[in-house]
Amino acid sequence: MSQSTWPILSFLIFFPVAGCLVLPFLKEEKTIRLFTLVVGLVEAALCLPLFNFDMTQQGYQFVERAEWVKDWGLSYYLGMDGISLLMVLLTALLLPLCVLCSWSYISKRVKEFHFSLLMMTSACIGVFLALDFVLFYIFWEAMLVPMFLLIAVWGGPDRRYASLKFFLYTLAGSTLLLVAMVAFYWAGGTFSIPELSAKTYSFKFQYWAFLAMALAFAIKVPMFPFHTWLPAAHVEAPTAGSVLLASVLLKMGAYGFLRFCLPLTPQASQYFAPMMIAISIASILYGGFVALGQRDMKKLIAYSSVAHMGFVTLGIFLFSLRGFEGALMVMLNHGITTGGLFMLVGAIYERSHSREISENLGLGKYLPAYMFFFGLFALSSLGFPGTNSFVGELLVLIGAFKSNPWIGAAIVPGVMLGAAYMLRLGQKLAWGEPTKAKEWKDLNTREWAYFVPLAILVFYLGLAPGLTLRAIDPTLNRVLDEFRSRSGVAVTATVPETPLSLALETNAAGQAHKLPR
Amino acid sequence: MDPVAPNGNELLLALLAMGLPLLSFFLVFFVTRPWVNLSCAVSLVCSGLPLSAAVWLLAGHWRMEAPILWQLTWMEGGGALVTFGFLLDPLSLLMLVIVTAVSFLVQVYSLGYMAGDPGKAKYYAFLSLFAWSMISLVLASGLMQLYIFWELVGLSSYLLIGFWHHKFSASQAGKKAFVMTRLGDLGFFLGIIVLLLNLGDLSILGLNQQAAARLTPGLLTASALLIFCGVVGKSAQFPLLTWLPDAMEGPTPVSALLHSATMVAAGVYLVSRLFPFYQGSPQALGWVLVIGTVTMLLSSTMAMVAEDIKQVWAYSTVSQLGFMLMGLGAGGYFAGVYHLATHAAFKALLFLCSGVFIHQYATNDFFAMARAGARGLKVPMLTLTLAGAALSGVWPLAGFFSKETVLAALAELPNPAWLWLGILGAGLTAYYTFRLLFVMWRPRRLEPPPEHGERAGHGAHEGHGAAVYWVMAAPLLVLAALTVLLGAAGPALQSFLAWGRPLPAGAHHTWLVWASVLVVATGAGLAWLEFGRAGAAQQGFLSRMPGLWNLFANRWYLDWLYRWLLDHVVYGLFSRLFTLNDRRVVDGGIDGFCRATLGAGWLFSLLQSGLLQYNLFTMVLVMALVGLYFLLV
Repeated sequence: MSQSTWPILSFLIFFPVAGCLVLPFLKEEKTIRLFTLVVGLVEAALCLPLFNFDMTQQGYQFVERAEWVKDWGLSYYLGMDGISLLMVLLTALLLPLCVLCSWSYISKRVKEFHFSLLMMTSACIGVFLALDFVLFYIFWEAMLVPMFLLIAVWGGPDRRYASLKFFLYTLAGSTLLLVAMVAFYWAGGTFSIPELSAKTYSFKFQYWAFLAMALAFAIKVPMFPFHTWLPAAHVEAPTAGSVLLASVLLKMGAYGFLRFCLPLTPQASQYFAPMMIAISIASILYGGFVALGQRDMKKLIAYSSVAHMGFVTLGIFLFSLRGFEGALMVMLNHGITTGGLFMLVGAIYERSHSREISENLGLGKYLPAYMFFFGLFALSSLGFPGTNSFVGELLVLIGAFKSNPWIGAAIVPGVMLGAAYMLRLGQKLAWGEPTKAKEWKDLNTREWAYFVPLAILVFYLGLAPGLTLRAIDPTLNRVLDEFRSRSGVAVTATVPETPLSLALETNAAGQAHKLPR
Repeated sequence: MDPVAPNGNELLLALLAMGLPLLSFFLVFFVTRPWVNLSCAVSLVCSGLPLSAAVWLLAGHWRMEAPILWQLTWMEGGGALVTFGFLLDPLSLLMLVIVTAVSFLVQVYSLGYMAGDPGKAKYYAFLSLFAWSMISLVLASGLMQLYIFWELVGLSSYLLIGFWHHKFSASQAGKKAFVMTRLGDLGFFLGIIVLLLNLGDLSILGLNQQAAARLTPGLLTASALLIFCGVVGKSAQFPLLTWLPDAMEGPTPVSALLHSATMVAAGVYLVSRLFPFYQGSPQALGWVLVIGTVTMLLSSTMAMVAEDIKQVWAYSTVSQLGFMLMGLGAGGYFAGVYHLATHAAFKALLFLCSGVFIHQYATNDFFAMARAGARGLKVPMLTLTLAGAALSGVWPLAGFFSKETVLAALAELPNPAWLWLGILGAGLTAYYTFRLLFVMWRPRRLEPPPEHGERAGHGAHEGHGAAVYWVMAAPLLVLAALTVLLGAAGPALQSFLAWGRPLPAGAHHTWLVWASVLVVATGAGLAWLEFGRAGAAQQGFLSRMPGLWNLFANRWYLDWLYRWLLDHVVYGLFSRLFTLNDRRVVDGGIDGFCRATLGAGWLFSLLQSGLLQYNLFTMVLVMALVGLYFLLV
């Protein structure tokens, strides 16, 4: 663990909050938007010091720790490893894009909207950086409120039902997380996650603790059959809400599995792995089939999220390096791709005021740039080789086939389904008989501005995922080693896995170039 | 044979061939789109230069002794190495020339064909994308790279098939092509994963040289068959053959490209590319032979009843691809590759000729074309006849020689049935080709051209001047020359593909030549009797057998079967049931739970009425119950 001199992580968490404090004094709508955009850009710039991240270290970096409530063992404890690095970068990247995509979409209560957006970002980054259980729980709950408001105030016609459902469902899960947290304090005597992870617990304790935490995380991911809040929330949420929901909030569940379930309850994780794998496969297939039957664009993408997140949880519970890498890559890629897709739906909603597929036909001829981005993100979503999602799916599939060919065979239809529903959507949007598309304008500069960064990432992560994988490999190796040494069950894999190093590098002679590890 | 690194020239040329079409795609799509002529010029230059580079490379390496390999590491670790780069050997060089030549000719031809189309610039962008993917596929040094471009080829053909936005059927056809080929590609993908996990080496040279020694026979066969699934999808083999006839919905030059050198050829190319790997597994080669044979016969029967000129050529493509796979499956590496090369020339020619007629008469029905006076167009009519004769295997055209090599390969097999099935297929091919030719040459009566748009209209455009005609006719003449010349180039190509080593003295079957000539003559003769001679009814013998006619015309009901499966199983059963389940059971359960909670709350709220007497009554009741409990327990 390295101690940093400058509290970068606290800056990252609290800078948007500071922005919130200024917001009430601004009057003009345009000023508010511009101000939030600047805050978002500065927040993204604040991520630059993170490139000091040491890719050879396994432990937490940029650690900040201060006593909070000494008697209870509470501390303000932040740290970053490879897993949180990716998630924080994703969140920080999305903030300015969310401001841009709400520029004309949100017209009422603009100040409050941006207030919620900033609070939301703070809480999300906090979740990924907190190393103290209580601190984590505070951020975890704090993020619910702005999200609830985003849906309930700026949502669609059925927003009250959807927002309440989202809030109560997630809260029900996190109540159990609270129970687990208290139980761990009783058993371990501290709230510090790294210290708790170093202790061992009886299997019976692990059993119940795992169930309590897994339910909270499974609702958040969401895994089948706890997923029904997601389509409801997505359909009603405004674009920025959908983007944050899909790209960041869902990842917290998977993050929780990696950060809490595996290190704290290794034996129980091993014990429940077959069940979790079965549920993941069910999520992939079920999400795909239901997505195939949707008429609402947002619902379709929401169900595709269920399927994609199935790949994530599957990868995690394979307990292999490939599986972990794949899971993390799918998390990141899903954030980029699905975020882009929701922004596209939002962009067309501003033109047609409908999310029904049948109201948005025939865009190919009149909105070619729009269709280009749609095609790109749709291809990425279906795991087209050369785009970002392909890397993640490939790694998960390799992990699955390595651990058990039947698991691999079971999720293959899911890959096919992805192509089926995405093509169905794309075909109707591009080629259908245009209803009103003739009158609509193609993407404007502002819209280009938020699609281009995501499109670049789609290609970058698809063609050269090497840097990203090198950044997460040490952390994942640590998680895996700790898990294997503590799960107490004989590990089937005998050959130690070496990390993948991916790169598009060569020397002048054109020979395969070995990378320094 | 150990690969050598490329010298500067080779590197430059290969990268030029791989890079220029991509450059052209981005330039045309994002920058020059509003200026149609500039876009066409950019695209033509960026497909002409790769052609020159390809010819240069081929000429410079006519006597090459070791493959040239250049690669970058994309992924390594865990005992696996995945690379990107290019591999130049006789096979990839030959294919490179074919691909660049056909795509260049098609681009020239499209200048005329797509004249006046509002989306012409975009069309050229997609053609460039197509060329780029196919060139990169051909030169790929490893299986992962090949797979990525394999998928990109599928994507670009999806875009081109569905190019005309106003035709919904075209987009349906594009989607069908994409989904069906992707179904096969899943197998390919799994094959790659099997190889990656068990061999850790995806380079083509590595696979060809070491796979047989390092894999168990079971794994070798499994991975070879999984990869072959991709071939079945891409080359439209049985049972995934129905997407190709539908893919006719795109512009005709696209069909020419799709059917000759790109897309469908990729499947056969893959088997040839990995031929030593396939040879390691006799079972896998056996399956290649079986699938090829079934496909060839099935699609020949479909072509016998088609009335749409493009449909006939589409079915014949499927059957010729099956024929190539038969050659490869029988162990005839040169036979398969040679037929691939000659087929690329005469099939591109057939489609481009048909395109002229379609462009002129705005119909796809060749009976209608003939009645409208198709034989008046001399250049396309003569080249069509030439290409048709090559397709049927008439001496001395290219098709005759390549067909003979395939049949000779089949004759080497211990079981003579394969040879007879192959000869039967050749007879069917001659029948349906000459049926079309005779109808075109000898129409029953001349009529004024049909109304524009009536049955029309793949390529129905107004206004065709002499310039347009000659822009479209020039590529025909080039291809016609190739169709004649490639027949004589057989021995030279054979020694080139065998790395210049002396050719094995294979048994020369004189009787085989005569047998196939006889069969072709029979097929053509039958066509003459029914369609050609004066007073012929121009109705095939199949029209007197409605059962068979329906079977063939409905593509052996394969499409119907897929439609049924899709409608009743995927959509009707799984998708609908799961959606219903999601709304009623999963979500309904949650909502029900919430309603129950609310209801219970309401029930308890009744207790809190604030009326003193009820509160007292409840208290007494509870105390009485508690008292009763203690009394009894």
